Amino acid sequence: MDAFMFWFFGGCALLGAALVALMPKLVHSAFALVLSLLGVAGLYWTLGADFLGGVQLLVYVGGITILFIYGIMLTPRDATRWSFGSLVLPGVLVAVPVAVLMSVAWKGLEAALKPAAPVTSAPTTDAIGSALLMRDQYLIPFELSSLVLLAALVGSVYLARRRKGG
Amino acid sequence: MPLLAAEGVSHLGGYVFISSAMFVLGIFTMVTRRNAIYVLMGAELILNAAALNFVAFARHHGDGGGKSGALDGQMFAIFIIILAAAEAAVALGIVLQLYHHFPTIDVSKPDRLGD
Repeated sequence: MDAFMFWFFGGCALLGAALVALMPKLVHSAFALVLSLLGVAGLYWTLGADFLGGVQLLVYVGGITILFIYGIMLTPRDATRWSFGSLVLPGVLVAVPVAVLMSVAWKGLEAALKPAAPVTSAPTTDAIGSALLMRDQYLIPFELSSLVLLAALVGSVYLARRRKGG
Repeated sequence: MPLLAAEGVSHLGGYVFISSAMFVLGIFTMVTRRNAIYVLMGAELILNAAALNFVAFARHHGDGGGKSGALDGQMFAIFIIILAAAEAAVALGIVLQLYHHFPTIDVSKPDRLGD
C-alpha cells in the first residue's frame, strides 16, 4: 500500500513535470504543473509531513497556479505558441549532463550514507508551530520571511500597475 | 496519525530519483522555452524538487543533531514555499511590465532596461 501510494504520487509528479516540459500550449503546461504539484503534495504525505502537504496544496496548487493562470491571461496569445524547435538540442545538452552528474553524486552519497532507521512519524503541525516560535530555532527566519512577503506584496503591486502615459 | 505515513519503509532512493528527474525536467523547460512564463514554471519545478529532497533526506536520516531533529527538512521546505510564493508574484509583475514596454514576453527579445 505504501509502495503503491509512493509510485502513484511520484508518477503524478513525474508525468506532470514531463508534460510541463513538452506540452505545446502554455495553458496545458500550467495544468500539467498543477498535476505535478499535487503529486509532490502526496509525496510529502507519504513522508509523514502532513502539515507540509497541506501547505503545498494551499500555497502552490491554490495560489501560485492561479497567479500563473492570470499571467497567461494577461499576456498576448501569440506569445504562448510553440517556441520549442531550435532550442531542443541546447536543452538536451544541458539536461543530460546534469542528470548524469546527479546520478553519479547519488551513487557516491548512497555508499557513504550510514543506514539509519526512518524517523518515526507523529503529527507535525504542533511541532512545526512551536519550532517556528522558539527563539533558538526558527523565530528569526519566520519574522524575516514575513518581511520578505510584505516587500514582495508591495513590490509586485508596484510593478504590475499600469503607468499613466507610460 | 499523519496521513499515509509509512513506518519503517525506507526507499530514499525512489524520492531522490523523482526529485532529480523533476529538477532535470525543470532545467530542460527553462532552457528550451523562450516564453517568460515557461521559464518561471521551470523554476517552480526546480524549487519543488529541492524541497522534496530536503524532506526525504530529513525523514530518512534526520534523527541526529539539531534541536528539532527530523523537522529541519520540513522547515526548509516551508521556507522554500514562502520564498517561491514571493518570487512568483514579483516575477509575474515583471513579466506584465515587460509586456507593457515591449509587445512580447519572449525572453530573447528585450534588449534594454530603461526607456
